[in-house]
Amino acid sequence: MTALFDKYRHVFAMGLQSGLVYRWNFLLRVLFSLLHLAALYALWSATYAERDTIGGYSFQQTMSYFLCLVIANYLISAFNEDYQIGEEIRGGTINQFLTKPIDYYTYRLTIFFANRLVTGVVVAIPILVCLPLVGEFLPRDVEPWRWVVLLPSILLSAIIQFSVAYCFGLLAFWFLEIQGFVILSLAVETLLSGQVFPLDLMPEFLFRLSQWLPFYYQAYFPVAIVTGRVPDPAAAQHGMMIQLLWVLLLMGLGRVLWHRGLRRHTAVGG
Amino acid sequence: MTLAAYLRIWLASIRYSVVRTMMFRFDFFLWVIVDVAWMSVNLLLLEVLFNHTDSIAGWTKPEMMLLFGTSMLIMRMFIGLFFTNLFSVDRAVREGTFDFYLAQPGNPLFMISTRKVDLDGVFNTGLAAGIVIYAVRQMGLAPSAGTIALYAFMVLCGLVIHYATVVMLVSLSFWIVRMQGLEGGYFSIFDLSRLPRRALGRVLDVVFVYIIPATIVSNFPAEVFRSGINPTQTVWLALVAGAWLAAAATLFHLGLRRYSSASS
Repeated sequence: MTALFDKYRHVFAMGLQSGLVYRWNFLLRVLFSLLHLAALYALWSATYAERDTIGGYSFQQTMSYFLCLVIANYLISAFNEDYQIGEEIRGGTINQFLTKPIDYYTYRLTIFFANRLVTGVVVAIPILVCLPLVGEFLPRDVEPWRWVVLLPSILLSAIIQFSVAYCFGLLAFWFLEIQGFVILSLAVETLLSGQVFPLDLMPEFLFRLSQWLPFYYQAYFPVAIVTGRVPDPAAAQHGMMIQLLWVLLLMGLGRVLWHRGLRRHTAVGG
Repeated sequence: MTLAAYLRIWLASIRYSVVRTMMFRFDFFLWVIVDVAWMSVNLLLLEVLFNHTDSIAGWTKPEMMLLFGTSMLIMRMFIGLFFTNLFSVDRAVREGTFDFYLAQPGNPLFMISTRKVDLDGVFNTGLAAGIVIYAVRQMGLAPSAGTIALYAFMVLCGLVIHYATVVMLVSLSFWIVRMQGLEGGYFSIFDLSRLPRRALGRVLDVVFVYIIPATIVSNFPAEVFRSGINPTQTVWLALVAGAWLAAAATLFHLGLRRYSSASS
């Protein structure tokens, strides 16, 4: 067990280093996220112009939702893990993992966590700088139980995000070019994880349906917990059970794809 | 080189792109589906918003669809004609393959901008035009040929502004070694083109109308159908497009002076 921990501890340290290499890129991304936030502010403030609430939520609550979403994205989003995995398969660098006592899923997941730790810290800097501008949209009067369930929920969200990206990356065993699949899935994920609008603004039956899909648990769910859109601890507990189920299902799917993919894989070169 | 020669080169690139697309038909269909999915995401946003309101900054649902459609139309044209080419500048500069464009007997910016055409983007331009036509019909309008021609002209001005903005973004590659995530910047900036100008507020209006002309790119053409022909807006957009293109070309050529070939 200690040896296992030791092995992935080194991978984690490596992930931290590689994450730091791209710190400027992430700062640039944060800048673009602020532009996105500005666009959201303009659109929603115009929509709220003639009313106090939409779907039972005030303008402050809606903007709080989007602000938390932007922050959560930097802590848990899989930015280009699918692409990196696809490249390792295509370029043959995946071969090195086939001869080593290392589990590829755990290896990539460890790097993913290390990278998100870096982006989480990097994103904190501009958010702190912009605090006078966005401070009024930080969640207010959050009940203690919400903070308690937020941590495991956000961790499970991160694993779902990574596992979806992992499965798409493994498609490179079957397809030469996976970018189309990745961008297509991004469109679905963007919509159904609540990046475009809070999911509870959809018609009731569509909202209920979305709660059974993995995308709901990728980002919407933890953000909904902290911004009060999940009404009570029982609803949070129910959601976390489904979230855990999706984690297990996606990890299982990843394993199946990995083993099937390896059967098709041809390692060339010395 | 004459203008006719440049046109011949671009036509040759288009021919090459068609042949390439015929070879990778699955890719073509996949990217069409991808783009349809993204356009649907935009339309669903409108659907949800208008479930809760009757107008946004004075724009009704069909008018907002016209604005979204115009924004998508310009974006799809840009994606079809220039997106992949321009976003390859970063890699070409870093790896030294930019030499290939310098060695050709033409303007390097033109050469790299027209290297290939993404036919799925061109196809989706038709779909975006379909959304615009649908919105205009929903508004109960029957525009004259002159109005349509003016709208088309302003859309082309918008395309020039998209092109110039991205040329400026990718020109930074000459100064900064690795510029990842710039594509996201393009979409973030022109996210604002889907918004009615009146929704911006004072500060954002200064930034996204006067400093970066992201909002007027689609607002002004859409206004042609919505409020009639406005000569001030037409001249404004044409002048901004010209100035923006000149600034982008200057920045690109300034950057080019810093380029040192990677070949031995």
